[in-house]
Amino acid sequence: MSVQKSWPELQKMHRACTIVVDTLRALAEAAQPGVTTREMDRIARDRIEKAGARPAFLGYRGYPATLCISVNEEVVHGIPGPRRLAEGDIVGLDLGCVVGGFYGDAARTVCVGRVSEESARLVRVTEEALFAGIAMCQPRNRVGDIGHAVQRHAEGHGYSVVREFVGHGIGASLHEDPQVPNYGPAGRRERLVTGMCLAIEPMLNLGGPEVRVLDDGWTAVTADRSRSAHFELTVAVTDHGPWILSEPYPYAQVAHA
Amino acid sequence: MPEPVRVQGRVLETLPNALYSVELESEGRPRVTAHVSGHAGLLRILPGQKVELELSAYDASRARIVGKT
Repeated sequence: MSVQKSWPELQKMHRACTIVVDTLRALAEAAQPGVTTREMDRIARDRIEKAGARPAFLGYRGYPATLCISVNEEVVHGIPGPRRLAEGDIVGLDLGCVVGGFYGDAARTVCVGRVSEESARLVRVTEEALFAGIAMCQPRNRVGDIGHAVQRHAEGHGYSVVREFVGHGIGASLHEDPQVPNYGPAGRRERLVTGMCLAIEPMLNLGGPEVRVLDDGWTAVTADRSRSAHFELTVAVTDHGPWILSEPYPYAQVAHA
Repeated sequence: MPEPVRVQGRVLETLPNALYSVELESEGRPRVTAHVSGHAGLLRILPGQKVELELSAYDASRARIVGKT
């Protein structure tokens, strides 16, 4: 059972998520041909620390960097290194930070220079799938409704959904219950209640859904080496509907006065 | 950062070397050989028991038990 957050706790989550998404915006601008993935990691770390936060992934289960950077056929958990981004790459940037005891987690896939029509469409549909999932974050819905909406959107456009990795509850820890799969039947799993915070993160592949983990123990790649895209936002369930925690609170605040 | 998916299963039998044969609840009821993860190691696991597992992304026939359900 996930921990329900109070209004002051949601404010802290909001702060952490805002730092993450601001940093992702800067990284998206920095993702130009020729830049190395290690330089991207440096930018991420500097910005997070300048904002008074701490990287959430660095040291998490032994992960060696601030940023997960996953190029083309890499699905998630790519480790920054000497690789240089090239024109036509699609690059997954996944980032988390902790500030005031609470975690924020978000990801987006950016295009380096001009990319093929096929890749651009994969990236667009993955982001749409994320928002289809977020729309399900209403009190009394169930966790399965989120995955069902994501899967429907993804497979409706001819893409496959990664099964081995899932979204998660988030708060005073990076990973909390419940798990949030991007697939499965609607109406199943845990019921959503006000104050729950979920990191929803569809991972869509151009080819089949199977993934492999490389020998570094982290980098997940598609088994058929087709391209993959990943988007993630941290969302709170409120009485009025979903609150994307990197955005200002979108509803009238009377209920909390 | 996505988390490795956890699945539910039922222990069929205990094997040598603290390994267990487990039937997963996912489609097709696949059977895997599972070991017990560090913090769950103190649990007493008996045949018939429902357990929660993390699958190995290296080898689909292996898994690790992370808790009881």
